[in-house]
Amino acid sequence: MSIEKGKISCQQLLFLFAGFIEGSALLIDFTVGITEHQTWMVILAGLIISTPVILSYAVLAKKFPGMNLVQINDMVYGRFLGKIISIYYIFFFSMTLSFNIRDVGELYITFLMQDTPFIFFLIVFTVTCAYAVIKGIEVLTRISHLILVIGLFAVISTFILLIDQMDFSNFLPFFELPFIKIFQGIHIVSMIPFGETVVFLMIMGCLNKSEHAVKNTFFGLLIGAASLLIVAVRNTAVLGKTQTIWTSASFQAIRLINIGTVLTRMDFLIGIALTILMFFKCSIFLYVMVVAVSQLFGLKTYEPLVLPLAAIEVIIAATVFQSPVDHAMITQNAGIIYSAPLVFVIPPLSLLIAKIRGLPKLERGKET
Amino acid sequence: MFGFIYKITRYLSLKNKNMLQNTESDKNNSEPITPDLEKNLEVIKGIFRDSSDVTIHEFNFGHERKFKGALIFIDNLANKEEIHKNILQPLMYGVLLFRNNVDIDFTKIDSIRENLISMTDNSKVSMISDLLDSLLAGSAILLIDGSKEALAIKPGKRESRSIEEPGTEAVVRGPREGFIENVNVNIALLRRKIKDTELCVEKLVIGDKSKTDVYIVYIKSIANPKLIEEIRKRLKRIKIEAILESGYIEQFIEDSPYSIFPTISNSEKPDKVAAKILEGRAAIMVDGTPFVLVVPMMFIESFQSVEDYYARPFFASIIRVIRFLSYIISTLGPAIYVALTVFHQELIPTQLLISIAEGRERVPFPALLEAFLMLFAFDLLREAGVRLPKPVGQTVGIVGALVLGEASVEAGLISPIMVIVVSATAIASFAVPAQTDSGTILRYIYLALAGIAGGFGVIMGLLATLLHLASLRSFGTPYLWPVVPLDLSGLKDVFIRMPLWTMSKRPEAITWDNCDSYSQSPDLMPSAYKKDDNDSK
Amino acid sequence: MGKKMNISIIKSILCFFLVFALSGCLGAREINDLEIVIGMGVDKDENAGNILLTAQVVKENAVGGASGNGGGGDDEAYWNVSSKGESIFDAVRQMTHKTGNRLFISHNQAVIFGNDVAKEGLQEYIDFFLRAHEMRPAALILVAEDRASDVLDAKPETEKFPAMNIAKLVKTYGFTSHLYKVNMKDFALWLMSDTTAPLAPLLTIIQNGENKEIYVSGMAAFKNGKMVGKLNHDESRGLLWVLGEVRSGVIIVPSPNETGKAVLEILKAKSKVTPEIKDGKIVMHIKIKEESSLSEQSTTENLADDKAFEKIQKSSAEVIRQEIMAAFDKSREFNADIFGFGEMLHKKYSNEWKTLKDNWDEIYPTIELNIDVESKIIKTDLLKKPAAPKEGEK
Repeated sequence: MSIEKGKISCQQLLFLFAGFIEGSALLIDFTVGITEHQTWMVILAGLIISTPVILSYAVLAKKFPGMNLVQINDMVYGRFLGKIISIYYIFFFSMTLSFNIRDVGELYITFLMQDTPFIFFLIVFTVTCAYAVIKGIEVLTRISHLILVIGLFAVISTFILLIDQMDFSNFLPFFELPFIKIFQGIHIVSMIPFGETVVFLMIMGCLNKSEHAVKNTFFGLLIGAASLLIVAVRNTAVLGKTQTIWTSASFQAIRLINIGTVLTRMDFLIGIALTILMFFKCSIFLYVMVVAVSQLFGLKTYEPLVLPLAAIEVIIAATVFQSPVDHAMITQNAGIIYSAPLVFVIPPLSLLIAKIRGLPKLERGKET
Repeated sequence: MFGFIYKITRYLSLKNKNMLQNTESDKNNSEPITPDLEKNLEVIKGIFRDSSDVTIHEFNFGHERKFKGALIFIDNLANKEEIHKNILQPLMYGVLLFRNNVDIDFTKIDSIRENLISMTDNSKVSMISDLLDSLLAGSAILLIDGSKEALAIKPGKRESRSIEEPGTEAVVRGPREGFIENVNVNIALLRRKIKDTELCVEKLVIGDKSKTDVYIVYIKSIANPKLIEEIRKRLKRIKIEAILESGYIEQFIEDSPYSIFPTISNSEKPDKVAAKILEGRAAIMVDGTPFVLVVPMMFIESFQSVEDYYARPFFASIIRVIRFLSYIISTLGPAIYVALTVFHQELIPTQLLISIAEGRERVPFPALLEAFLMLFAFDLLREAGVRLPKPVGQTVGIVGALVLGEASVEAGLISPIMVIVVSATAIASFAVPAQTDSGTILRYIYLALAGIAGGFGVIMGLLATLLHLASLRSFGTPYLWPVVPLDLSGLKDVFIRMPLWTMSKRPEAITWDNCDSYSQSPDLMPSAYKKDDNDSK
Repeated sequence: MGKKMNISIIKSILCFFLVFALSGCLGAREINDLEIVIGMGVDKDENAGNILLTAQVVKENAVGGASGNGGGGDDEAYWNVSSKGESIFDAVRQMTHKTGNRLFISHNQAVIFGNDVAKEGLQEYIDFFLRAHEMRPAALILVAEDRASDVLDAKPETEKFPAMNIAKLVKTYGFTSHLYKVNMKDFALWLMSDTTAPLAPLLTIIQNGENKEIYVSGMAAFKNGKMVGKLNHDESRGLLWVLGEVRSGVIIVPSPNETGKAVLEILKAKSKVTPEIKDGKIVMHIKIKEESSLSEQSTTENLADDKAFEKIQKSSAEVIRQEIMAAFDKSREFNADIFGFGEMLHKKYSNEWKTLKDNWDEIYPTIELNIDVESKIIKTDLLKKPAAPKEGEK
């Protein structure tokens, strides 16, 4: 019996995907230090490489309607191995969630409200995410299109407002950097913005009718990637080479907006948009983690686990790294290594095995 | 284990209490009216021995005065003129127009009713309890010696206000009639708007001691039967002594009692209620109050006013946008001001910052406290203004303006910018009347969040509010429809008002595809007069 | 839901609110506790190694209600505080010895570096202005001819604050195009380049009787962060022609008949620079298109005909070419690539660039410029003919 009683429609899946990927707009700054002015290429390449993998998630979800990731793992790999893989996924979810929460805290500590203690942001933010999770996935999906609109508005409006400060010759020369750096950048991009969408394997079990799941996933992915691309192009065009030295290139780019005497101090606009998008992303992560844990232990509902798991996440986020430098280094180097099998290898493998073994078997009397 | 035992004993003790309550009210029931007039009168006199306004008039009628009867009514509830003219007169004099030996048995209530009583609104009662109910509702009771039934005759007129413009919902263009306290008049007003056979008016009586008439009004072919069933179920569940106003009912049947936002709307205007009924909603009319409840409610309705539909679309759209903006200003105004000036001064343009700083030079309070004080003072004024006796009204208004405005700034207690912000907030809060209560609470919450955590607090507060609103349902309809479960056809009436000839569909979330979804023909756009060849000029 | 559940819920809600109450307010700064800084100046102090930081802080005159003191009276609305420190951040914090509150530099309009600091090298001092979270990258950067603190003292006539006046002077460079607006981000961008020389406007103080007046006298060029030379107005404009940043300005040419002057107002200017490496030599093809209007003439001859226009256009093109060459020659003098030719080569010939950039100091003076100017007069304002008796009639 699936834990989640809510249902989402395929169109909402599109909004979910796009909003989720937009939440990673901040994280472009990870790759900028490595790929400089070729970030847009790296994003495009990452998109092309990740698309088949992500579409395989959708196909896998279509094959196992109404079942979330833990159940699929159980079915495909057998009880024991499936549970081990689910535990690996839960580890991945919890680590990534704590990194993201820490990201939001760092954003505020560095740019917007410097004197407030760090843990305050973590606690308040996580409590709001926990509130969203307690309300259920249906409420989150219902507001997903609003969040997407906010994100798109922020991205496009800042792009337009900065057009007069853009210098498109900053993109030349193409193909300057050595290939190893490009490769590293592609790896990071396909892991962090695009690879994190593996969480949707847990959510696609709630789809109402899964006929258009693949199409909507693809379009959601495109919209999310398009907005990332716009952000990367804007930063490179406006900041040129300096984008590699700022902690957050997007913020400094926004601070340069100077139109008339009115539109001069817009950095909070992007602060608001980023907070909301990150909230959306972290709520989905928290939800997925809580449902996975409760599914693993065979609980009937996931509600009692929300607050305790959220508290654990706050503690991890507060203590895991010493500084943003640490954070950047570890995610760029270690994070992508341990998440690679989960994102690229296991779901397509599950799909293959399922095809070969002919799962899900219809005569199985198992309750789904 | 002890907890379990404790729970069981508590349950049992509570059950006993309930049963106790039930038996008390059972006292007067289940006794039928006896044919013996004297005995009945004894019982009734016994019940009403402490009330001096119950009149019992015994009389004889018929040829040779052979029949005895009694007329019981409550002095000020029944209409004495009608009783004299239409009950006593025919009984005492009109019966003499019959022949002496006519074969109509005047001890039967039916015969009296069909032949003598010249009032239309009457019904037979056979139990003492029903008799007492009708008596207390204002009917005159006719008891005949020898009859097991009595006749309860409802009075025609009842004292009530005249129909005037509702105080809380004034319009510039549109009908100026409003509901009054008499529910029958209200239903009549509604029937004038919707002359359809499908308009159902279901009656319920709620309240043990007040026995208030509550009517559920809906259009059978449009409204969702499940909705009506749900309303009936919830209304029947109410076990309370008195329903004094529709607000009582609202608080007992609403979906989320702990939420700040109202999920049941109310209105005083018949055209507004009629329009909502035509969309598939149901109205709940309560006797004794001009405020009619309408379910289900959506958040958007607080921003829509009837006038929007009588004015032309462009102007109506602008006014609607202004209403949205004023709601945002009224809830977020002080919060944003405090957040910006206390936490995020880098976001204010330099010149403005210097002006604000100059204004705040002499103020001894921190900005958060100043804002709280001003808001509190404003709410004080508003509340006092409502309760004022009329002669004192002007004085308090002037004093309030002077004290809060000029004098405080001069004395250096408040900065001038704060006065501006709070005044703007105050004025804006009246633009959206249905949400004033939620707006007031939200204002304080956002202000507190802003004072503690600046912009971050306000954003988190907004997100929590959004999540809460998105999860609210009002009798099955999502509260933020059509924005939150996105429905493009419903969006025509949300932020702007599209012309009437484009809005041909009923809102889906209320009727749930129960009925014909087109309420008007889709191609009604007015077109310019085209010159025919046959026209001469 | 017995009593126990209720109490635990109450406890958790209490804890949550305690988080707010105990920690949240720490970031609050009341407006009156701020020292709003609108201009900063950096000089070298007498003690070697120390710097003298001057901050122009807004002084808030209390305005009480509607009948406030009209605009502050005779007092100045600002206050120049100075402090010494070993580094800029040190000096900023030391400022609290005098002001009592931390400086609030989000509204800083301009950062002015003194002559001595500029000569020693800005690389040491610029880091604070890029790294501080309150600093905005759009703040202007300038160099003073002498000491920055003197510049901040010069009281302007039409503005309340000297720093705002200076910012205004620089932002309106477009009227003459004799200088260029440089903000922090541009300066940092140039500093990060291997070859480009950063620039900053140069401020001079002119003693006009009692008052001191600020005057922007040109641009200063830097190499490796150290100021190496100055450009005057014409040379600055020459630079701007190449960068395509000329907005408006005045070109004076002799009239065709040599009897007077024709004065042109520049309306629009576009430039296109194409680098080319030909036989191991670097040639820059600079193409300038300019449109102007005839704004004044001091002769009586009628200049509004084709032939006269042609001559004037040729002269103005020549003036432009001379300005560009003057800028280039000056830059060759102190061997600083102010035009950004290096980066242009980088963008086009990225392979050759790797070897070129190491020898840029030797290569730069050998660059050839191929300047092609096209100048057009597109209107003559309100007069068709000058106010003079008709020619041929005397």
